[in-house]
Amino acid sequence: MNSITYALMTYGLTALISLAVVGLIVIINKLMGGNSSADSEQGAD
Amino acid sequence: MMDMLIHLFPGIGSFFIDDPIVAFSRIALIIFGMVLAYYGFKRTLEPLIMVPMGIGMIAINSGVLFLDGGATGNIILNPLVSDPSNLVNILQVNFLQPIYNFSFSNGLVACLVFMGIGAMSDISFLLMRPWACIIVAIFAEMGTFATLIIGLKFGLPPGEAAAVATIGGADGPMVLFTSLMLAKDLFVPISIIAYLYLSLTYVGYPYLVKLLIPAKYRGIETEFDMGNISRRKKFVSILVINTVLCLLLPVAAPLIMSFFIGMAVKEAEIEPLHALLENTILYGGTFFLGLLLGVLCDARTILNPKVGILVVLGIVALTISALGAILGGWIIYHFTKKKFNPVIGIAGVSCMPTTAKIAQKIAMEENPYCMIMPLAMGASLSGLIVSAIAAGVFISTIGMLAP
Repeated sequence: MNSITYALMTYGLTALISLAVVGLIVIINKLMGGNSSADSEQGAD
Repeated sequence: MMDMLIHLFPGIGSFFIDDPIVAFSRIALIIFGMVLAYYGFKRTLEPLIMVPMGIGMIAINSGVLFLDGGATGNIILNPLVSDPSNLVNILQVNFLQPIYNFSFSNGLVACLVFMGIGAMSDISFLLMRPWACIIVAIFAEMGTFATLIIGLKFGLPPGEAAAVATIGGADGPMVLFTSLMLAKDLFVPISIIAYLYLSLTYVGYPYLVKLLIPAKYRGIETEFDMGNISRRKKFVSILVINTVLCLLLPVAAPLIMSFFIGMAVKEAEIEPLHALLENTILYGGTFFLGLLLGVLCDARTILNPKVGILVVLGIVALTISALGAILGGWIIYHFTKKKFNPVIGIAGVSCMPTTAKIAQKIAMEENPYCMIMPLAMGASLSGLIVSAIAAGVFISTIGMLAP
């Protein structure tokens, strides 16, 4: 594979995985509800 | 008489026995070690790494003696021994050999440092503005991929080009781990160059930021939600990200696991383990990392014609990454209708927490009330995640490039 093609492919793949990971974090946060201190206390149980 | 003096003071006498190039390189490395240790002491360079590294560099190049058969060597470390029976013998002689073989050459020390960094990190910084942070971090990884192309054009084999390119991610343990996986013969010079340059970012990056971001933009106040993100939410996020990244990038699983175990211990509030990782493991790992990097700078083993290319590529990688990071900051600034301080971009270069501190310092110089540190830490943390992903992608796919 050409070096430029490889670099672009790996950069794209890195960006894609990174965005997917952040997307997942956002989804988890939405699923677990908004920020609240009550939730915080529950987490300490 | 001369022969007796040479054997009486082998450290000095060996200068006359060694090849002149090696002898001069030893002297140069002794002086260089002194410079590193001194600038570490002065806090111009990172003291945690540079003081032990400088002392190690001085000792390995000064403490030369005559071994069996009249050859010159030392009783500190020999990284080139690979024959199992020789290794067993030498493990009982060289005092740092066990630490090198059982913690350095397998990447354990990089993982220990990562556990400590994880224990110091807080995922809530990333949760404040996740998309802005990750986009900045993706731009800040530009140097890695640009340097890969340049390295290949310089004629480096794919593994070596990818290993030196990871300097662009500005993460020392990551560079060490990747070069151990992809360029075992060059991991010593690559790691040394990486740590040296990472120490210099604190000096060089502010000039670059001030050059590319006019003063009136540097003090822009940026909104972020400092809401109380629950530990339960953070802990679940850590578990999920760790699982996903290990599933996607098994070759980087040791490093990913090490980082997230540090974070998990912190969020689970397991105080004895948190204190162990954050203090003993992190500082112990950093100390031995610095010391081993120093003693690996033996003139007889480090002399390699490729070192010159690595020196150039290292600075190219970090410079392009900084330019990409600032570009990322500008893009988010325009995308958010001028409600994002573009200085935060530099923190996407994941030299935690150095680049975040640089961003905050520059912003406060223009506006004393400008607080961007939490967002800058989020960008740095995102940079760390993106660097780990890039390293994993390289290790997994480098075979696609024909050598």
